[in-house]
Amino acid sequence: MAYLTLSKITKRYGDALVVDDFNLDMEKGEFVSFLGPSGCGKTTTLRMVAGFEIPTSGKIILSGDDITSKAPNQRNVGMIFQAYALFPNMTVAQNIGFGLRIRKEPESAVTQRVKEMISLINLEKHADKYPYQLSGGQQQRVALARALANRPQVLLLDEPLSALDAKIRVSLRNEIRAIQKTLGITAIFVTHDQEEALSISDRVVVMYDGKVEQLGTPSDIYNFPKTAFVANFVGTLNTANAEVVDPAKGLISVDGVQFGTTKDLKSMKKGDQVRMSIRPERFSFASEEKKENVLDCTIENITFLGSIVRIQVLIGNTKFYMDTFNNPFLELLKVGEKAQVTCSRQAVLVLDSPIEATSPQKDLLETDGILGSV
Amino acid sequence: MAQTSLRMPVIKTPSNLKNWLGVTPFFLFAILFLALPSIYLVQGSFLDQNDQFTFQNYKDLFTTPLIVDAFKLSIQISAVTAIVGGIFGFLLAYAITVGGLPRSLRSALITFSGVASNFAGVPLAFAFIATLGRRGFLTLLLKDTYGIDLYQSGFDLYSFAGLSAIYMFFQFPLMVLIMVPALDGLKREWREAAENLGASNLQYWTRIALPVLLPSILGAMILLFGNAFGAYATAYALTGGRLPIITIQIGAQIRGDVLHNPGLGYAMAMGMVIIMAISLAGYSWLQKISERWLR
Amino acid sequence: MNLLSRFRKFSFWSWVWFILGALYFLIPLYATLRHSLRMERDVIGFRAYERAFADPSFLETFLLSNLLAVATIIASIILIVPTAYWIRLRVPEARRITEFITLLPFVVPAIILVFGLIRIYSSPIGIPFTGINLLQPLTTTKLGTYTLIVAGYMVLAMPYMYRSVDTGMRTVDIRTLTEAAQSLGASWFVIVTQVILPNIRSALLSGALLTFAIVVGEVTLASFLGVDAFGPYLFLLGQHRAYEPAALSFVTFLLTWFAMGLIQLVTGGQGQAAGAH
Repeated sequence: MAYLTLSKITKRYGDALVVDDFNLDMEKGEFVSFLGPSGCGKTTTLRMVAGFEIPTSGKIILSGDDITSKAPNQRNVGMIFQAYALFPNMTVAQNIGFGLRIRKEPESAVTQRVKEMISLINLEKHADKYPYQLSGGQQQRVALARALANRPQVLLLDEPLSALDAKIRVSLRNEIRAIQKTLGITAIFVTHDQEEALSISDRVVVMYDGKVEQLGTPSDIYNFPKTAFVANFVGTLNTANAEVVDPAKGLISVDGVQFGTTKDLKSMKKGDQVRMSIRPERFSFASEEKKENVLDCTIENITFLGSIVRIQVLIGNTKFYMDTFNNPFLELLKVGEKAQVTCSRQAVLVLDSPIEATSPQKDLLETDGILGSV
Repeated sequence: MAQTSLRMPVIKTPSNLKNWLGVTPFFLFAILFLALPSIYLVQGSFLDQNDQFTFQNYKDLFTTPLIVDAFKLSIQISAVTAIVGGIFGFLLAYAITVGGLPRSLRSALITFSGVASNFAGVPLAFAFIATLGRRGFLTLLLKDTYGIDLYQSGFDLYSFAGLSAIYMFFQFPLMVLIMVPALDGLKREWREAAENLGASNLQYWTRIALPVLLPSILGAMILLFGNAFGAYATAYALTGGRLPIITIQIGAQIRGDVLHNPGLGYAMAMGMVIIMAISLAGYSWLQKISERWLR
Repeated sequence: MNLLSRFRKFSFWSWVWFILGALYFLIPLYATLRHSLRMERDVIGFRAYERAFADPSFLETFLLSNLLAVATIIASIILIVPTAYWIRLRVPEARRITEFITLLPFVVPAIILVFGLIRIYSSPIGIPFTGINLLQPLTTTKLGTYTLIVAGYMVLAMPYMYRSVDTGMRTVDIRTLTEAAQSLGASWFVIVTQVILPNIRSALLSGALLTFAIVVGEVTLASFLGVDAFGPYLFLLGQHRAYEPAALSFVTFLLTWFAMGLIQLVTGGQGQAAGAH
């Protein structure tokens, strides 16, 4: 049986359906991220696990107990807030010991545990400082220690890194993940930053408009997005309108240029309109070995992004972005030159989503994904 | 606080004499109408009947019964109205912020507090005379309907108790106006974090919310103290000078040297200023602390 | 489920405090109103109001207080706005001492202030050791007295006026606006009239309304300086009449309410307290 189960969780505020049929089974020690844009329901779902909201319908079962309607101070879950929420009138040590003292643990046990926690987060020298004397990153670490001191069954993190500087965000998320692994504690991590979610999670739940769009490992989510939203939201993506040419052979046409795909098109007919997507990094320059999907193109623009070079190519009448690792030989490429690029059939994603076609320029969407930090 | 980023240099235009010229009118005004009068009083307090320098006036402050009693009375009434006003004002502020009353009541109370705290003085005294005076509305209501005779049982509006009751009319609102922002400053996450760590509502209030609010509450009470301490018109309108609080005595001294010793009169005034200054210092210090926590 | 029951318990006590507070505040006001309507035996009428308003002394003193209020407001604006502006823009070092000065009126309440003002300005001000008099005693002339009381009122209102204006300027970041205007070629006149004043309009209005409320009801300065203002008039009225004072007190309350309500409208939020008199 799963350690934490969210079953058919729904939340309504008046007429607004904020969370719609959320289902999740988590194993003990698993690290799951809820990923999605603002307003998608990820924080609301987390708060239902914490007890600050009560589901309109559905059940939450933790280690065999139905905790759906339990008061927040009766559940044994630890919560980390975006705004740290450290008690300003208490020192670091007092903050961390708060939960234990509430439980009336003997003072010696409390001191011992607080000491353990402080060394876990490496803030020994700051034990007697007040929150206003600490930086954001330090405060969040104290918040983490405070939640963990109570030995919670689940750790809930509500966008804990959003208020911090970029550099701290990266180091702290790794620290959080390391601590979580060491302690073997089950954790749910809410974020709108896909890089965070993909880099530290065992599994990711992508949410949009209250619904679960996809649940899978980071690699699944990135490489095999099931819906257009997931494909757009996670990572950079080329998208274009396409037409089915040959369902049996898996061929589609983007404004006249044929792409072969491994996607099963047998349920479609020739002439069906679909959306085609492909990740920029799945393109490469044609060579002797690569024979699938060889396409003629013209080089329109070359952008140097550091370790990656982003080349804008015109394939037929459609612009595509192609990302390739930095290589001094790329300097030899010139704008206006003709070249041949190739991509595997597996890389060509076909999504028949109801999203309307936007202008070609807009098709080439950029998100602040892995490439954003280059 | 640990700074991880470089501080931007403050762009200061070279402040030479010409720039300071711009604030001279204000300083001149302050000197003429604030500093000079004060200095005159200070100076006067150190002079005896023969215009010689002396500390005697200040010593006499503690030995002249009239003065000692006046200060005692003023301090008592200020302390009582500060504490009672502070507590009930806090409860009112609590009711309209964290206490969950409708938004409309909150704006109503805040607007009214602004009005009530300005309503002091003569009209306020009259209002209470009309309510609790010998033929006041409430007095008669209690007598005729419930058979309770206030004045028989020793109540007198024109007394310490009466004046305190009247002072509440501007003490409660002042407390409300100060505490509402402070209560708003209680972050929702603190309560949620406390609950999450197992605390009950009471534990949250006793261990976190009240300690965090304490500097604000104490500071506000000190402000209330100073507020009552310096009040003159209300008391004068009520009892015409029969209730010998310090401000009334100073008023008497201004009109006609009742002490027969101008220097002592100035010392009396300075005694009042010193007490107000201590209050202000206490309030400022507590403000600083509360700002740190409630930012 | 316990969340709901907990919430209900919250609200119960809140209502208790609120209702107690409402009773405490409203009963005296009601009593005043009631009293003011009972001038004619057994009849609820506005007789008291008629007589109060018809009294020529009322008109004189009320008018005078209003004029003094307006004078105070104008003088305060002329003094404080440029000062606050100048400090923000050119002399930030002066900020601390200026803020300290604006806190002093709290330490020097009206009774002490008037004490000092009278003693100093009832004798001529001259250069020490010479026979030269720079200023005749202010208290001996009507104009002098009025100047003195307006200055006194300015001191009383100063903390609120300054704070209001300063906050208003900070909110709109007057410094950046000025620099933007300068870079676009605006002259000082344009900057003052089109950049500064319009942007602190609500702060000025709220400060002005508060000053108005303070001045019209003020008694201490007026009575000791011998100014026939509304405050002393009302006090005197209370010695001789029974119903008219109640009527005027109630009117004062309505006026104050009106002024504060305007402030709320203009600032949209925090009330302002002027403290005891």
